[in-house]
Amino acid sequence: MTAALEIRHLSKRYGDKRALDHVDLTVEEGSIFGFLGANGAGKTTTLRILTGLAQPSHGTVRVLGHDVAGAGNDVRAEIGFLPDVPGFYEWMTADEFLRFAGSLFGIPKRTLDERVRVLLELAGLTGVGTRIGGYSRGMKQRLGVAQALINAPKLLMLDEPTSALDPMGRRDVLEMLASLKGRTTVFFSTHILSDVERICDTVAILDQGRVMVQAPIDELKARYGASKVIVEVEEGAEALAAEIGAQPWASAVEHPENGTIEVTVSDTTAAKRAIPALVAARGLALTRLEAGEMGLEEVFVELVGGEQR
Amino acid sequence: MRGFAAFVRKEAVEIVRTWRIWVLPGLLLVFALTGPVMAKYTREIVGAAGGSQMAAVIAGIPIPTYLDAYAQWIKNLSQIALFAIIIIYGGIVSSENKSGTAILVLTKPVSRSAFVVAKALVHSAFLALTVLLGTLLTWGGTSVMFGAAPAGPLFAAAGAWLVFGVLFVSVMTLLSVLVDSQAGAAGIGLGVYALVSISAIWEPVGTYSPAALAGRPMAIAAGQSADVTWPIASALMLSVALVAMAAWAFRRKEL
Repeated sequence: MTAALEIRHLSKRYGDKRALDHVDLTVEEGSIFGFLGANGAGKTTTLRILTGLAQPSHGTVRVLGHDVAGAGNDVRAEIGFLPDVPGFYEWMTADEFLRFAGSLFGIPKRTLDERVRVLLELAGLTGVGTRIGGYSRGMKQRLGVAQALINAPKLLMLDEPTSALDPMGRRDVLEMLASLKGRTTVFFSTHILSDVERICDTVAILDQGRVMVQAPIDELKARYGASKVIVEVEEGAEALAAEIGAQPWASAVEHPENGTIEVTVSDTTAAKRAIPALVAARGLALTRLEAGEMGLEEVFVELVGGEQR
Repeated sequence: MRGFAAFVRKEAVEIVRTWRIWVLPGLLLVFALTGPVMAKYTREIVGAAGGSQMAAVIAGIPIPTYLDAYAQWIKNLSQIALFAIIIIYGGIVSSENKSGTAILVLTKPVSRSAFVVAKALVHSAFLALTVLLGTLLTWGGTSVMFGAAPAGPLFAAAGAWLVFGVLFVSVMTLLSVLVDSQAGAAGIGLGVYALVSISAIWEPVGTYSPAALAGRPMAIAAGQSADVTWPIASALMLSVALVAMAAWAFRRKEL
């Protein structure tokens, strides 16, 4: 596998503010890469540098094997990009905009006709003859995704592609991105964890300009995602929580609330065996015992949550 | 190059499909149509407005000729049209940055230099077409009003002014790259115009530099002989340099 994107020691300063702090990132060709971070973490700044819209203060960025600092039309011809708030010529129709975007790549007319037809259908804009100025934000976002695909890019970079979409629109865009797996490298930033969990094979978590972690999702869950056990008793939860917290398999216990205890465990089997015994020994009534793996949300909160608050 | 051609086409179509087709051409065509009429009937208009009290003033107004209509047209170009250019083109580049359209274009195979050069070229051509149409209408209107209307002085004066107009399209292209606010760029543009007009008082500047084009077209329209070879050559060279500087500055700008 070769890298579609390689970022080394990337830093970006705006005056005294450090937007990116020695970011290292590698995105393999053909992968669907989720770039996760809260608002203001530095995701958009990274994408602006990747697309040549902004210059790094320090570090190197290679896009499809080319140093982005000297990359010209040859590299831009092979990427597709959707900014977080795409701006369109509002006097054009969707069909006209896609044809204009295609003409910037010099796509032959017959190929362009076919791509425009397919992409308008994908964006749910077939037959919409009104000017873009009258579109809803969701329609503009879908058109934005379509224009990013007009050149059948090798690398598709999208900044928060689903944030303005309704649930149906989100599902359609995510399914479309998932369908590109293996053919096009997809790099998309988002703060919606479920989107990443749904379609990405690899994820990087960015917090305050630093990459906290980059790994395949499964590996990330295995590395950070110690299992969780939820225990619910009718009364006496506080004392029970303290006793559970003292067990060797319990790495963390959340304070009980309404009789619910949330335990992060290193050995799920041992916990499931021991907890009913501890409850019975105290003569408490057990109403719920549930064990499961941590999701990406918990991993994200664990990695960045503390510093966010 | 294909991207450049497509972007040039977009700029041209955008003029036709948006407010741009109405403002500058509308303004100039109104002046072109009314100029010869106003020149012909200035005495009557003043008389109707002022009555018998204005008799002495009217007597002092010379009998109008076609040269008055020509002078009226060039005066309108030199003042109102130039101010319109400065205000309209204050956002020639920055408006695309602000609306986000520049980002979608510049992440495709269109270089930033091509983006800036295409805009300066298309809008200079648009100005040339508008001025040509307005000058033709002025010529026709003058011919109807005054009978005699030799084309030479009118087209020579309009041509000389057009070079000055193109220079200001270039000035505003550079200012629009450097200043994000359209109003800010327009304000500086008006300041540049004032400086250029004042500097023409100093003879070397007023003879050889583009500043000469602030006043000499009026002299040409009035039938006087005025050499504008040097001012035209220096204005064209400066226009090219200004657009090149705009492209250079835009390449270094963060979007």
